[in-house]
Amino acid sequence: MTEQTVTLAHGAGGRQTSELIEKVFKAHFSNPEFTADDAAVLPKIDGRLGFTTDGFIVSPWKFNGGNIGKLSICGTVNDLSCMGAKPKYMTCAFVIEEGFSLAALEEIAAAMEKTAAEVGVKIVAGDTKVAGKGQVDGVFITTTGMGEIIEGADTSGKYAKPGDAVIVTGDVGRHGCTILLARDTYGIDSDVDSDCAPLWGTVEDMLSVTKDIHVIRDATRGGVGTVLYEIAEQSDVGIALDQTAIPVDERVKGVCGLLGLEPLYLACEGRLVIFAPADKAQAIVDKLHEGKYSKNAAIIGRVTEENKGRVILETEIGTQTILPQPKGELLPRIC
Amino acid sequence: MNEQMMKAREIITGYKGRPLRIMEVCGTHTHEIFRLGLRKLVPEGIDIISGPGCPVCVTAVGFIDEAIWLALEKGCMICTFGDLIKVPGTEMSLAGARSKGANVRPVYSPLDAVQLARENPDTQVVFLAVGFETTTPSACLAAKTAKEEGLANFSLLTANKTMPNAYNALVGSADAFIYPGHVNAITGNAACIKLCEEKGVSGVVAGFTASELMTALAVCIKLLEKGEPFFKNCYPRVVKDEGNPAAIRIMNEVMEPCDSEWRGLGVIPMSGMKLRSDYADYDARIKFAMPEIKGKPNPACRCGDVLQGKCKPSDCKVFGKVCTPLHPVGACMVSDEGACSAYYQYAD
Repeated sequence: MTEQTVTLAHGAGGRQTSELIEKVFKAHFSNPEFTADDAAVLPKIDGRLGFTTDGFIVSPWKFNGGNIGKLSICGTVNDLSCMGAKPKYMTCAFVIEEGFSLAALEEIAAAMEKTAAEVGVKIVAGDTKVAGKGQVDGVFITTTGMGEIIEGADTSGKYAKPGDAVIVTGDVGRHGCTILLARDTYGIDSDVDSDCAPLWGTVEDMLSVTKDIHVIRDATRGGVGTVLYEIAEQSDVGIALDQTAIPVDERVKGVCGLLGLEPLYLACEGRLVIFAPADKAQAIVDKLHEGKYSKNAAIIGRVTEENKGRVILETEIGTQTILPQPKGELLPRIC
Repeated sequence: MNEQMMKAREIITGYKGRPLRIMEVCGTHTHEIFRLGLRKLVPEGIDIISGPGCPVCVTAVGFIDEAIWLALEKGCMICTFGDLIKVPGTEMSLAGARSKGANVRPVYSPLDAVQLARENPDTQVVFLAVGFETTTPSACLAAKTAKEEGLANFSLLTANKTMPNAYNALVGSADAFIYPGHVNAITGNAACIKLCEEKGVSGVVAGFTASELMTALAVCIKLLEKGEPFFKNCYPRVVKDEGNPAAIRIMNEVMEPCDSEWRGLGVIPMSGMKLRSDYADYDARIKFAMPEIKGKPNPACRCGDVLQGKCKPSDCKVFGKVCTPLHPVGACMVSDEGACSAYYQYAD
């Protein structure tokens, strides 16, 4: 039996399009709000809204610890979560390459369903386009999400203050490392898996300790190092890191050692960087240690008045060096 | 910090003797020393200088020109370690040649280049064999594999270098060397011991972790205080006196010593490796009847002085202005292991 694949007819808007939607998408995304009309009609939400969109083109589409479907939900859920917004509704748009396996598409949709259900976010509308062979690589997904901002939460990259503690919610660089190895360019075998995870629960945990959290940012492309430089600039502060406190998985350390890479600049897809008042930091970390995706959370540094716009590393030998800025794109199509 | 590191730190920071110049010869050490901020720990009397230990940095301008000639004139596919792609030749880098249609492929191992030759039987594949004793055995293995398989479309453009004769050329640049642990792991310690006994050249072999580097530096300072020439292996976990016999065997089987040009240092007698005559069919210079190609370095660039520890990268007029990691003028700005790149990235 030959493998069933997506054809241009699936994107033509006719009966085959309906079949694809019925068989793959409706089967997985079914909920009362999922629309068969031109737009979803949603109940009124009180309070302020968070609203965001993100595109996903990761190659390969499937990797150890996830696939592009899971990633497309996590990415948007995490962006909303960073603003203290509980994810409520999402839409998704697929651009699929002619010839892409239907079974693979099912696998992607199933991962989206599972991840969305875990967070409690509803997929309410979608779109499917099919592009000719070679015009896209496999499948590209764009998701858009809307969330309700929790009363009292007020975060922004501009709010870091001297004295704040810098927290990461887990070990750094695992997604980037996983994708790097999945492309099999280096001939390195390792079972390292992506940290890809939906983090609304993690944000809820920290907000349950205190609403007084200044910055929450998810460290995706460019990794934790890039986020730290962004915040240092946006808030016009310096950041001092304790190099020995930064959690890095031993496997990631090994790969980075072999290839000369800095784990702080490898992408994460399930890690948040948090800036919070120092006196609340330990309580936040203690709470995070109870969470599913934040068992290795750690305080890795503090915000300083001096060295504005820079990230300083306090090294294992007790000296201070600057964290070198990344040089351009390390690896394309990471998310 | 463990107890050994604390002790090493005390020795380093507490030094009050005569001025000392200690040269790390290895690019990986250069990078680690910057990453750890080790220079900030040493007192004023101690100068840590970077030597010619980054294989990309010491590769002569003419070698890049030769590779470009093979790519553009002979239509060869050039396979190379990635860093070399950005190194400026006389007129352009391999990246520049690529924009003119050259087929340039980054690879992570010489055997990847052999595989590309198998997969592209109608294309002449040339691997750029640079590096020290650490990478030369794998280039030799690639040549041997190609010969055994009778691959007619694979060859090497060699610029392999060996360390012992470079130390000779550097005598006088420093009071002591920090020898590269991974080179000695292959070659063993005989050459370094001989240098010490015959020429009074001092040095310690160091590993690459913070603790190993600090310990080696502390031992070096202590022994320099005594005033006698010394050799000390501070990386015995990995480095054995006899080295790695299997790696040495394949190197000697496939290659032999030759004179070699080092960027900034000129030609150092018997400091390079070339393919033996049995492997002439796999030597790109012979195979493609390459004319003599002499490179002209950019006169504004002081990489040569930097590599000999005669000046700091920041003393060079183009450093950080025209010459940056994104737009390197000299080779030392290209690789993460290059002294100029390290100075630039870790500038305070």
